[in-house]
Amino acid sequence: MPEPQPARLALHDLQLAQGHRTVLQHVDGQFADGAITALVGANGAGKSTLIQGITGTLKPVAGRIACTIPKSRRAWLPQQLALDLSFPMSVEELIMIGTWPSHGALKGYCAAHYRRGREIMARLGISHLAHRPLGELSGGQRQRALIGRTLMQEAELLLLDEPFANVDAETVEVLIEVLRDMADAGATLLVVLHDMEQLTRLADEVVVLAGGHAHWTTAAAFREMSAAELIELTSPLKLPGVAAC
Amino acid sequence: MLATLFASLHEWLIAPFDYGFMRRAMVAGLALSLAAPPMGVFLVLRGMSLIGDAMAHAILPGVALGFLLAGFSLPAMSLGGVLSGLLVAVLAGSVSQMSGQREDAAMASFFLISLAAGVMIISLGGSSVDLTHVLFGSILAVNSTALLLIAAISSLIVVTLAVIFRALVVECLDPLFLRGQGVRGSLVHGVFLGLVVLNLTAGFQTLGTLMAVGLMMLPATAARFWSKRLEGLIGVAIALAMVASTGGLLLSYHLSIPSGPAIILLAGVGYILSALFGRHHSLTARLRRRAAPLGAPEPH
Repeated sequence: MPEPQPARLALHDLQLAQGHRTVLQHVDGQFADGAITALVGANGAGKSTLIQGITGTLKPVAGRIACTIPKSRRAWLPQQLALDLSFPMSVEELIMIGTWPSHGALKGYCAAHYRRGREIMARLGISHLAHRPLGELSGGQRQRALIGRTLMQEAELLLLDEPFANVDAETVEVLIEVLRDMADAGATLLVVLHDMEQLTRLADEVVVLAGGHAHWTTAAAFREMSAAELIELTSPLKLPGVAAC
Repeated sequence: MLATLFASLHEWLIAPFDYGFMRRAMVAGLALSLAAPPMGVFLVLRGMSLIGDAMAHAILPGVALGFLLAGFSLPAMSLGGVLSGLLVAVLAGSVSQMSGQREDAAMASFFLISLAAGVMIISLGGSSVDLTHVLFGSILAVNSTALLLIAAISSLIVVTLAVIFRALVVECLDPLFLRGQGVRGSLVHGVFLGLVVLNLTAGFQTLGTLMAVGLMMLPATAARFWSKRLEGLIGVAIALAMVASTGGLLLSYHLSIPSGPAIILLAGVGYILSALFGRHHSLTARLRRRAAPLGAPEPH
């Protein structure tokens, strides 16, 4: 069997801590290119911690994160938005910020980029909101606009922390479709999810975080798991080769 | 009838500028009105409205030292002001980073120390007249050197702001995104604070260290009642500042009142009128609140 191409994002014996408390350790694995990986686990299992580690906002205590995707093509949508929504900016202006990797701080936008911006807004069904200030958007509209920025950015690594929280059903449909297209185009997507139905529809692979460790499985295998198996998987005592914490 | 009207308008609005000192004062005011309000708009949007005030106190000891060492030399006083302002900004920034204290707490501590130090230095070496001059300025005493300095600093501020504009906007809105793009948010923030210090230094000669903040903040807070867009906020703020500085000068000329307070009070009147009659969130806007019917086209 030919050796599979190494993924562009891999974790090697990673240990992450919040303050002095270790949240995850001995995490080894890779995230396949062009696949959507769901991160699941109980509250406090380390889903957000792992995302913070991959974005670089949290330095690893030990081990390393190998990522060959350029920084400018990585996008992160945090759970509690760091966005200051009182800032006077329209949806279109937010999406145009996604041109930063090619335009930087100084270069002016040209007609082609505005056209691309309009295409993205049409794709996300927010064309009619182009000039609306961010502060007047609903949760779903805001999420669409933010995904629009990552499309403009041509993000190749997309980290989403509970992207469907506070989002209407129609937006969920649109976003699932758009995220799937991004993955099909080769992007690596990591999505923190709680909802089993969304996971079934979106994810190719699943990483279960429990007891400070990560367990890789496919979405199909994860769906087939019985409740008992899930409990066994998420119990740190029963994980093979893992010492009790 | 019309001729008398024109004559009195001329006498009120144009004739005062026959004097060189009034012309210089007007140009200085207009230059400051171009540079200061955009700073104020960003300070308001970042929830840092009082930082301008703190920085104004921070430049005082440097201005005082410059005065003590070189006498009444504007370049020396300005240089001292910029240096002590930047020093306080850097100190406050690093103390808050090291201790985890909020930046405004550290800033508040340092500006109080600076104010006391500044007043102490001036009283040791000068008279209370000098103190009044530094604290409250005198726009009517602007000479050509001072005017050149003010114009140069204002130009530098406008150009630098244009260069960092997009980075500053993104840093206000979404610092994480900017970080992902490899731009250090603290660098953008630092350059911005540096511009605030420069701006206050340019303003102290004309308005005094304390009231230079007025031309920065009042037009910016008033503009919030007129526009919801960044360009609109900046445009309205600049226009208000220009009207206030020119109008304040004329008032000061005709009514024989001090020019600095006249300018800032006029800007203050602008703020109060905006709060009463502005398009957004003002008192009358609240009373007249209407919404477009469903299906109406989006206003651009």
